[in-house]
Amino acid sequence: MELIENIQNGERAAIAKAITLVESSKDSDQQISRQLISELIKKPGKSIRIGFSGPPGVGKSTFIESFGSYLVTQNYKLGILAIDPSSQITGGSILGDKTRMVEISKNPNTFIRSTPSRGALGGISMGTREASIILDAAGYDFIFIETVGVGQSEIVASNLVDIFTLIVGPGSGDELQGIKKGITEYADIFIVNKNDGELKIEASKTAADYKSALSYYKKLDELEKQVLLVSAIEQTGMEEVIKTINQIVDQNKLKGIFEERRANQLEYWIEEEVKNIIASDITKRLSSTGNISKYSEKVMKNEMSMFEAVEKITKDTLK
Amino acid sequence: MNNKSNNGFNTWQKSFEKETKKNFSDANSETDEGIEIKPVYTRDDLENFSFVENNSLPGQWPFTRGPKASMYTNRPWTIRQYAGFSTAEESNEFYKKNLESGQKGLSVAFDLPTHRGYDSDDDLVMGDVGKAGVAIDTVEDMKILFNNIPLDQMSVSMTMNGAVLPVLASFIVAGEEQGVDRSLLSGTIQNDILKEFMVRNTYIYPPEPSMKIVADIIEFTSKEMPKFNSISISGYHMQEAGADNVLELAYTLADGMEYVRAALSKDLDVDDFAPRLSFFFAIGTDFFMEIAKLRAARTLWAKIMKDFGAKNERSLILRTHCQTSGVSLTEKDPYNNIIRTSYEALSAILGGTQSLHTNSFDEAIALPTDESARIARNTQLILQNETGVTKTVDPLAGSYFVENLTEELSKKAWDIITEIEELGGMTKAVKAGIPKLKIEESATKKQAKVDSGSRVVVGVNKYKNPKEPSVDVRVIDNNRVRDDQIKKIQAIKESRDTIAVEKALANLTDAAKDETNLLAPCIEAIKLRATVGEVSKALEQVYGRHFAKSLSVSGVYGKHFEGDKDFMKVEKKVIDFENANGRRPRVLVVKIGQDGHDRGAKIVATSFADMGFDVDMGPLFQSPKDVAKDAIENDVHAIGVSTLAAGHKTLVPELMKALSNIDPKSKIIVFVGGIIPEQDYEFLYKNNVSAIFGPGSNIIECAEKVIDLISDNLSKE
Ligand code: B12
Ligand SMILES: Nc1nc2c(ncn2[C@@H]2O[C@H](COP(=O)(O)OP(=O)(O)O)[C@@H](O)[C@H]2O)c(=O)[nH]1
Ligand SMILES: [Mg+2]
Repeated sequence: MELIENIQNGERAAIAKAITLVESSKDSDQQISRQLISELIKKPGKSIRIGFSGPPGVGKSTFIESFGSYLVTQNYKLGILAIDPSSQITGGSILGDKTRMVEISKNPNTFIRSTPSRGALGGISMGTREASIILDAAGYDFIFIETVGVGQSEIVASNLVDIFTLIVGPGSGDELQGIKKGITEYADIFIVNKNDGELKIEASKTAADYKSALSYYKKLDELEKQVLLVSAIEQTGMEEVIKTINQIVDQNKLKGIFEERRANQLEYWIEEEVKNIIASDITKRLSSTGNISKYSEKVMKNEMSMFEAVEKITKDTLK
Repeated sequence: MNNKSNNGFNTWQKSFEKETKKNFSDANSETDEGIEIKPVYTRDDLENFSFVENNSLPGQWPFTRGPKASMYTNRPWTIRQYAGFSTAEESNEFYKKNLESGQKGLSVAFDLPTHRGYDSDDDLVMGDVGKAGVAIDTVEDMKILFNNIPLDQMSVSMTMNGAVLPVLASFIVAGEEQGVDRSLLSGTIQNDILKEFMVRNTYIYPPEPSMKIVADIIEFTSKEMPKFNSISISGYHMQEAGADNVLELAYTLADGMEYVRAALSKDLDVDDFAPRLSFFFAIGTDFFMEIAKLRAARTLWAKIMKDFGAKNERSLILRTHCQTSGVSLTEKDPYNNIIRTSYEALSAILGGTQSLHTNSFDEAIALPTDESARIARNTQLILQNETGVTKTVDPLAGSYFVENLTEELSKKAWDIITEIEELGGMTKAVKAGIPKLKIEESATKKQAKVDSGSRVVVGVNKYKNPKEPSVDVRVIDNNRVRDDQIKKIQAIKESRDTIAVEKALANLTDAAKDETNLLAPCIEAIKLRATVGEVSKALEQVYGRHFAKSLSVSGVYGKHFEGDKDFMKVEKKVIDFENANGRRPRVLVVKIGQDGHDRGAKIVATSFADMGFDVDMGPLFQSPKDVAKDAIENDVHAIGVSTLAAGHKTLVPELMKALSNIDPKSKIIVFVGGIIPEQDYEFLYKNNVSAIFGPGSNIIECAEKVIDLISDNLSKE
């Protein structure tokens, strides 16, 4: 495919069109997209994928602008996938991330793509993983994935990246009760943003709260989870962030964790794809037989129990 | 005495219900501000006031009836027309002609590069030089601007906020070199930075250092320029950006409070500077509301300043300039604008303004021509000389309705002011982006009302003129202006003492690092012929340049159209498009160059999103290259360029070039909205623009056309 060559040559328009394909809901696009990804995946690039997750308004986009500017001055090539939460379920969306990434978006060493999440699970849109494969093939050193973090979504998002970062705001220590054991397994770095002006004291306190909570959950053989203080607006703390990222990458590579994660993610991906296909197949079958409404009527009329109905439908559908 | 319970009122109410076939209780209407307007007001409506005092007199506490006892009976308001374009030479000619024809004060409109602290030779401002105001690069330009205009006799107002330091410094030095001591200069510098962050968008530095500069200027003028107004606290731009009158009033006064505090932090006594604070309001089409607004503004400000401990009576008095509303004027059937402007002017006069600008009928087309400017000026001359409105002070005092409206507005505004104060003041609110968002919400609602026809705009959504007249437009050749300016800059740079200039600029940078007042070192640099751009950069080294983080409203437009046929038709087209193409139509809405008019772009973006489009919103001040990169990376179907400051003939072709530079096969279509004189349509179409949407466009119709054009374009592949 010519497209592949153009992507590998780093042609902006080709990369962009390929991402459109992998995001498309059209069957014919999906077919091309599968071929494309199968090819690209054969020759993986060198990129490190980093996820930045956190509640809306904590400053993820601003942080990426600030941290990204720092990286591009060091001549790194930076691909950014911003999954924009502003989508409304019925309407369209306003993708405003670029108004927060003014400086880096001008830089020729960046590629920035916003995607409406349309309420998809985990704030990850269809095609995010594939898009990061495209950017990898195009030769980007770092791929940033910005997602809204709510509940479940961290798990989904963390399965797309090599390093998963949770960005939180000053005062969010109150939500620490909500941080169950789970999240400490998924997040590698915790960034407390807005460490500036009047918020400084609160930010330090929040960082301390996180540190103590995290030490509580720490596993014996694990690296200590890092809690970093930054101000995206004042661009402070950025060296610490890159240092920490490099450290974790090196460590993980050394211990084989890096490859292990990628292998697990591949497994997860395959599992997801299989589940998706089965699920959509079954949905089709269910609607074609009309079994659901047929049997619920029987249940309503007390002709069979609800569990009998379930068993019957399942058997029927899977045969 | 209670009017409502007496017989006369009951009889009136019955007659009213009979005539209107409506229940009296359903007869109220609601204004944009959410104020209920009754069909009739009586003496009862003058009771229970907490702001308005029924028996006050003009020139007396609480100054509701006017800042002076005699008002226009002694001297009419000042006719002060805002103008400026092209080079200083041409603007100077224009000013002199106007003064000969009856204008009394000057008001300078600078071009956007000057506003934003760039010299005319800066690549970033290629399309903007001299286009929407006059280009001033050095004090030499400023001297030309006032050539043969004696600055000790002429009061000069300057709309300058971002690059306020070098521009005020140039004015002072121009005066001195004309032989006029700074203490004799009279006029006003706008110097109101908070509303720039909210709506006007010609800021340069972040909020904190910007506020410091405001305070520096108040301090300097209060000590050295006793006849000069140190600031013009402006609500005008808020209303033009879409604020209703309560928002305009509340935010303006809250801004004023913030500036008072900034000045107090300089160890000045409140009475040292308060008499030199001035105000600026817009006068829109809601006739009585606007009158009431000016009366309410004076009432509230007196109270606010008393609370600040002002002792001098002059500190309590709000003096204001007003401008009729530009946004109420239409491109369609433009002679209607003369009529609109006349009513608005009358409203401003009945409200007791101190000076007034009346807009020209070609407002929605281009900068005024000599002819349209003459009609605008004459609107005021006729009011002053033929109508008798100057003969009685505050003639509407005692009107049940107007007094009641004054009280209602005061109350509503006071509630908002209190809220902002509780939040910690306007600087904080502005930084959080709240006022801007509220104004955009209000603007979006107004657009929905016009697009749905529930608000009539004559000649636009009703009573259209089947034969639109064609009007002359002022054409400015920005390339010629730019070349002229560049030559002047080069000549000055060759003849000045470069080492001295560099030293003066370094001094300025140092001064910015501590609390020194920056005006004196600026004057030094300007005297030595440093440019406006150089001075701005010297400060930028310390302060940095500010990039606004823009938020968007959502759902406001759509809510107005629930169940609307045309709206649903577009929604359906969007869904059909998604089913056919695997994604929604995706449009990038952008502003290019220094044009900061973002009202239209923001409204179009949010409305398109409400109809189901995916809309990418670009930041302000992008270059054509930035836009092309953004568009291609996001693989949008179309780019919508919103352009109001006349840069389109330079910037749109540049955008086309930039697109094909990145992707020679680019299929992205481009359409243009905003202020485009009819004469330029052909030029744009020749440059492959797919469609042009001028002022007054119905957004639902725009959206339908856009989606059709995108579909057509895709089917060509
Ligand atoms: C409001 C306004 C302002 C406000 C702007 C507030 C804001 N945040 O936007 C304020 C008061 C701050 C302002 C300031 C200035 N203004 Co002004 N302003 C106007 C005014 C009166 C109305 C513009 C407007 O908002 N209309 C309402 C919106 C909804 O309409 P719209 O933008 O036209 O959009 C509609 C269509 O055009 C179309 N559309 C527009 N864009 C797009 C995009 C897409 C994708 C689509 C589909 C459709 C579309 O659909 C929209 C809906 O109908 C116009 C005159 C006029 N009546 O048009 C002058 C005008 C644009 N201003 C002008 C000038 C000169 C200035 C200043 C530069 C003056 C100065 N020298 O200081 C300043 C600087 C501003 C800056 N930073 O750039 C001139 C420009 C001259 C020219 N083009 O030749 C004008 C034309 C007035 C005049 N005749 O002198 N201004
Ligand atoms: N004080 C402060 N505010 C910040 C900082 N980073 C972001 N913000 C503000 O937080 C708001 C949300 O930022 P944004 O980047 O859009 O957040 P996102 O939704 O997480 O992407 C904006 O108003 C930013 O200006 C910071 O470091 N300090
Ligand atoms: Mg974001």
